[in-house]
Amino acid sequence: MIVKDAVCPFCGCLCDDIEVEVEGDRVVAVTNACELGTTKFMGEKRLKNPIQRVGDEWKDITYDEAIRYAADMLLSAERPLLYGWSGTHGEAQCVGVHMAELIHGVIDNTSSVCHGPSILAIQEVGHPGCTLGVVKNRADLVIYWGSNPIDAHPRHLSRYTRYAEGFFLDNAFRDRKVIVVDVRKTETANIADEFVQVRPGGDYAILSALRAIVQGKTETIPRTVAGVTREQLIRVANLCKSAKFGAVYFGLGLTMTPGKYKNIRNAIELVSELNRHTKFTISAMRGHYNVYGSNEVNTWMTGYPFGIDFSRGIAFYNPGETTAVDILARKECDAALIVGSDPAAHFPRRCLEHLAEIPIVQLDPYPNATTAFCNVQIPVAVTGIDAEGTAYRMDGVPIRTRRVLWSDYLSDEEVLSRMYALMQEAQQP
Amino acid sequence: MKFLMITGRTVNQGVTVENKTSPEYAAETSTCFMHEFDMMELGLDDGDAIRVTGPCGDVVMRVSASVEVEMGTVFVPYGPYANHILSAGTRSTGMPDFKSHMVEIEPTDEAPKLVHELMEDLGGLAYDR
Repeated sequence: MIVKDAVCPFCGCLCDDIEVEVEGDRVVAVTNACELGTTKFMGEKRLKNPIQRVGDEWKDITYDEAIRYAADMLLSAERPLLYGWSGTHGEAQCVGVHMAELIHGVIDNTSSVCHGPSILAIQEVGHPGCTLGVVKNRADLVIYWGSNPIDAHPRHLSRYTRYAEGFFLDNAFRDRKVIVVDVRKTETANIADEFVQVRPGGDYAILSALRAIVQGKTETIPRTVAGVTREQLIRVANLCKSAKFGAVYFGLGLTMTPGKYKNIRNAIELVSELNRHTKFTISAMRGHYNVYGSNEVNTWMTGYPFGIDFSRGIAFYNPGETTAVDILARKECDAALIVGSDPAAHFPRRCLEHLAEIPIVQLDPYPNATTAFCNVQIPVAVTGIDAEGTAYRMDGVPIRTRRVLWSDYLSDEEVLSRMYALMQEAQQP
Repeated sequence: MKFLMITGRTVNQGVTVENKTSPEYAAETSTCFMHEFDMMELGLDDGDAIRVTGPCGDVVMRVSASVEVEMGTVFVPYGPYANHILSAGTRSTGMPDFKSHMVEIEPTDEAPKLVHELMEDLGGLAYDR
């Protein structure tokens, strides 16, 4: 059976033109997806049933036992952490928020270690963004700043920018200029019309220099700024001002480097400045396929996008205090539910040392690095493969992912709903 | 020698990320991309083992020559190896300094550990070796 127009559940591009060939309960071929998406669709070695750690052994348990264990663990915890959420669908994220409120826990998603700083900047100065379709059809200048789509979002270039057709561009490949700003000469830098190589940590200074040039204060710029010559900065500023429609896409090269959210704020303010001369937009290259969705769901349910602490009985948000890395590093939480992410692979060592000391339940289809710290792991269906649900693309467009095959695995939403029902029952007076 | 360590996504990291117990994921995330001149300075060939020491400990990786990084900078695909030596401080943002740690690098005869060995060193118990 061939499933057409399947949605790829890997990165924030959520490509919706994938063809998947299925035989029985296996995906045997994938067309149109990039290497990352193809590998995800073809994924094997799933965990077959829930497992529990008993001493130095792993034993198989039933779904009922695993769900009961998780509910009891969360109910008896004083400061539970519910973390992850970017690798699952919106419906499951909703249950997660309800659960966090019920047990007065902290719910955080992976954006606190990817584009959390971008959201902090957007909260300060707003977000002049647009959908990917607008960029595809109108932009004659695209800037990738601190992002390397060839490795991280391989089809971004072919579907929306460098290699895409544009409705309002006669010859998009010729008419659309691409600028890459990075500390490394990445593969993406090799296909750019202009590559600006910044000294590590120098992004804020470059952004400030460009703002000054766009404001007409070119005489204030020294001979070089963070390793970039004055001439190149003037050339880039002129390219921006003379574009009919420019789009900036920034990655973790801005959010993780010194300055963090202040870098993003400066980039947004540069875009605001450019809008006095032409049309310009700026958007984040979101990583997980539904990390944007976890911010959306959290925001409409609690008012805050990530790092939400319900310990006071109401939603409280203070990044740096209520975010997962900080809570783990301070050894503050006494139990954790991990859904759709792998903190043991992606958090600094000190956080892992605390994960080893507290009870943990994880919902994930595969054994991963966090499995080693789990008391119980519950395998679930993969959204976009054997479960369906809503995900938000990197530009904020919600897309319904499709199921391409049927399996006996429960979805994240089903497992979490059963867990939540047990917890509600236990809390009844 | 001291280096600035930058972490980030690579295609191979992304391809193996759903199979973290595989040797391919371990090999990719324990690769340290370095400028050839820096490798000459340290007397390293492609694939040689190096000990990388950061603020929170040390970890063994393998070096790979890269034209993408500048001298004095190394690039490591993000994952359990780089995170084994990074500090958890977030400067009140929630975000650790994933791209701005200074590390010390020296040649070593030890081989890099597997992912499950790193997890067990920190108190975990591997499920699927």
